[in-house]
Amino acid sequence: MSHIVTIMTQLLDPAAVAAACRRLGLPEPVQGVAKLYSGEAAGLLVRLPGWVYPVVVDAAAGRVRYDNFDGAWGAPEHLHRLAQAYAVEKAKIEARKRGCSVVEHALADGSIKLTISVGGAS
Amino acid sequence: MSKTIEIVVDPRGGATVRTSGFARSACREASRFVEEALGLRTAETLTAEFHQGLQAAPRLEQSN
Repeated sequence: MSHIVTIMTQLLDPAAVAAACRRLGLPEPVQGVAKLYSGEAAGLLVRLPGWVYPVVVDAAAGRVRYDNFDGAWGAPEHLHRLAQAYAVEKAKIEARKRGCSVVEHALADGSIKLTISVGGAS
Repeated sequence: MSKTIEIVVDPRGGATVRTSGFARSACREASRFVEEALGLRTAETLTAEFHQGLQAAPRLEQSN
């Protein structure tokens, strides 16, 4: 290994959000305005299973708004899964744009490993 | 040695990017596109491979 970088994932790409929803079997996200418990929010609306209010992704700002009342109105695990699926799909999109091949493996701890071969065909 | 970028995305969505097979600082350039695409860098560790090939500074000795 040459270097190791840790990254806090930000949901910045609507296409990758949509790909994450498809990956998780969620409804296609739609652009709009959602009423949350406290106020309204505009952005890409994602419906998570069992969540009272949609998750609102403001991709331009990299901001995610939601009201789940500490889990009472929606299990946080679903939001975590969305973030994981987003990161996986975004990395694959970017790798393929560059003509790199990508191999995906599920790990025992629930992580997902992507191996991008630089210079390989997609 | 093949050049690869390995990304592990944990169950909460955090990502760790590792490079392999690149000479010295080329790894940083190689993985920058995916690091920038995913979000904010929170830490970076340079490994022994990163430093391989770096020449030791020449030792200057005065002989007079």
